[in-house]
Amino acid sequence: MRAGFASQIAALLGLFVLWEVCVRVFDVAPHNMPAASAVLRDMAANTDLIGRGIVRTLSETLIGFAIGAAIGFVFGSAFAVSRALERLLFPLFIVSQAIPVIAFGALVVMWLGNDIWSKVAIAAYLTAFPVTVNTCRGMQAVDPQRVALLRSFGAGAWVLYWRLRVPYALPSIAAALKLGISLGLIGAIVGEWFGDTVGLGIMLLQAMYNENLPRVWSVILVCGAIGILLYSAFEAIERRWIWWKQEI
Amino acid sequence: MGGPAASAAPPMLQLTNLSKTFESSHGTVVALERVGIEIGRGEFVTVVGPSGCGKSTLFNILAGLAEPDAGAQILYNGEPRKAPELLGKVAFMPQRDLLLPWRRVVDNAILPLQVEGVPRAEALKRAEPLFSEFGLAGFERHYPQQLSGGMRQRVALMRTFLFERDLTLLDEPFGALDALTRSLMQRWLLEVWQRHQRTILFITHDVEEAIFLGDRVLVMTARPGRIKLVLDVPLARPRPASMLTSPEFIDLKRQVLAAIEEESIKSFQQVAET
Amino acid sequence: MRGFLFAAAGPLLVVALWEAIVRALVVPVYVLPAPSAIVLKVWTDLPALLGGLSTTLMEASIGYAIGAAGALILAMLFVLYPRLERVALPALVALNSVPVVAFAPVALLWFGSGPASKIAMVTIAVGFAVFVNAHQGLCSVDESAANLLRSFGAGPLRLMVLLRLPAALPSIMNGLRVAVVRSMIIAIVAEMLGAVSGLGWTIFESTQQMDFLRAWAAIAVASAASMAWYGLVNWIDHRFVFWR
Repeated sequence: MRAGFASQIAALLGLFVLWEVCVRVFDVAPHNMPAASAVLRDMAANTDLIGRGIVRTLSETLIGFAIGAAIGFVFGSAFAVSRALERLLFPLFIVSQAIPVIAFGALVVMWLGNDIWSKVAIAAYLTAFPVTVNTCRGMQAVDPQRVALLRSFGAGAWVLYWRLRVPYALPSIAAALKLGISLGLIGAIVGEWFGDTVGLGIMLLQAMYNENLPRVWSVILVCGAIGILLYSAFEAIERRWIWWKQEI
Repeated sequence: MGGPAASAAPPMLQLTNLSKTFESSHGTVVALERVGIEIGRGEFVTVVGPSGCGKSTLFNILAGLAEPDAGAQILYNGEPRKAPELLGKVAFMPQRDLLLPWRRVVDNAILPLQVEGVPRAEALKRAEPLFSEFGLAGFERHYPQQLSGGMRQRVALMRTFLFERDLTLLDEPFGALDALTRSLMQRWLLEVWQRHQRTILFITHDVEEAIFLGDRVLVMTARPGRIKLVLDVPLARPRPASMLTSPEFIDLKRQVLAAIEEESIKSFQQVAET
Repeated sequence: MRGFLFAAAGPLLVVALWEAIVRALVVPVYVLPAPSAIVLKVWTDLPALLGGLSTTLMEASIGYAIGAAGALILAMLFVLYPRLERVALPALVALNSVPVVAFAPVALLWFGSGPASKIAMVTIAVGFAVFVNAHQGLCSVDESAANLLRSFGAGPLRLMVLLRLPAALPSIMNGLRVAVVRSMIIAIVAEMLGAVSGLGWTIFESTQQMDFLRAWAAIAVASAASMAWYGLVNWIDHRFVFWR
């Protein structure tokens, strides 16, 4: 999706205005939907708390994402290069993904402790699968004639990998990374639900239990802002480094 | 029997003052400069020129996919037309076969008819007799990936011929083929042309091919592309392969080569300079 | 058949290892139960688990269908109407940036603790996943092929049906495959926040009651269902998108 950073901000502002107008015009009850202004006021009054939450959740996301993406890239490459490996281990990956890791978040917390690392683990777990699939598929999409061509130039397996398979797979991998970063954020937030004291996920849960709707929406907005930032960063990188379209 | 338009009817296509400029990050590029062409109905006209001389740009304009600069005059069957109006009026075959990998050969062949809105059954009926003529008998249900380069080109050609339009543009259709296949395809194309009586504009790099196939040869200059030479090819049809070594042919070839040699060097230097 | 056995080899190996380690190290049930114990529990609790499965599966599949269809239609509309894309795409990207689970409290509030809130959650989760892939696929079509079809007189709608959609199919299938996994997970997560039935609710309840074996049994059932579903989508992919 190509939407510039500026236009996203503009769209958000537009939505804000629309939100405020609708709430006022349709006289929406505050327990259904708080006014945009109420949410903004809540955010402004709690910058310290929100700030700490951001730092924690963002770290969990980024570290988990990095680990998951690395794992995904390594395994995806391995699967693309070795058919045997793919047939042996890929089903394992699929099975592991079919297990809703979210579901045993409580168990992950038990194993890794109630701090940052259990959330990192969940985020990494969620990121690994799409990156693996897209890396593998992307690399397998190289046509054999090009492989043969490079081999005729005396290219060894390593060169073949870096100069052909990786560039070919990059558009696919980029799509997976964009998905992965949002999954990582989800993993971090839900991981926090299983027990923690700091973080946006916890703030969200507490706000829900306290029926503090402006707070719920504040956290949603903050999460959205983080999401936009991360996504736009990846978009920018993709635009700069991966500009070739897929051939039919 | 095709040949130079002997009738007094107006030429089917008349281009005057056709120019095309491109703006790019490297500056302004004049692809075509005041090109003027006349093509009579039923003629086979070949266009030859060095790389980058704007041949493909010219074809894109004639197919209605690009607009020439202001001031161009296009007369189609004697009536003035704007370039975008030509979209869908010309049977265009680009350099790559562009066969859709998810469609069988037969479905690729009838693609333009389906776009036109012809019902599938009717389209299949029209395509049916052409398969053997195009050397594709037995391959109708195959997928493009299963065919050789030559066969894919023939599917693309069949697709182009099924799109019954007055003017057919072929952009180096045999460029990717080996010499042996190419000469077979050339002779076969002439037979198809004479049978179907289309007007063909044919781009090629190959001077011999240009003379062998054409009623007239247009030689284009290096960028900015202009028509440098219009050569009539008065050789009688049908043209056997032995004609390639006849003195008349060699004489024509000499003329074209002289014109093109100069342009090729210019074009080569242009590339070297950028 | 051989392929299937080969594919099953990896997971079976892991399960065997797992059983061996749990027995050898005498790992307590609340840390990690043995596979044999889980299978036994699934067997004894089968009716209840299947009941929960049907709820969760229903929520996930309805949300999947709506989300995927909606995403596809939206992606096509964006390609057909560039002006719509210019206005709505940034808003969509912005919305997409909010992690889907953050909307769970809102969904629960608006739609209650029943299946509707879970379906809503799955719809947006699947929708975004499929949209990203579909949009990318539809936009990455070779311009020369598009030009060729235009030269036949094809308008934007024909171009979409004859060229863009088939060309985008591999991307779309990728999105659909990934979305399968997401839909079950999101349904379960939503249930854990507040529900009256379903596997996620079972897991949550079991964890509250310290009956970890039951939680694992529910997880096992959920996983099996996800795998079957994923296998189905994969089969469809191989059967109908054969030109990769």
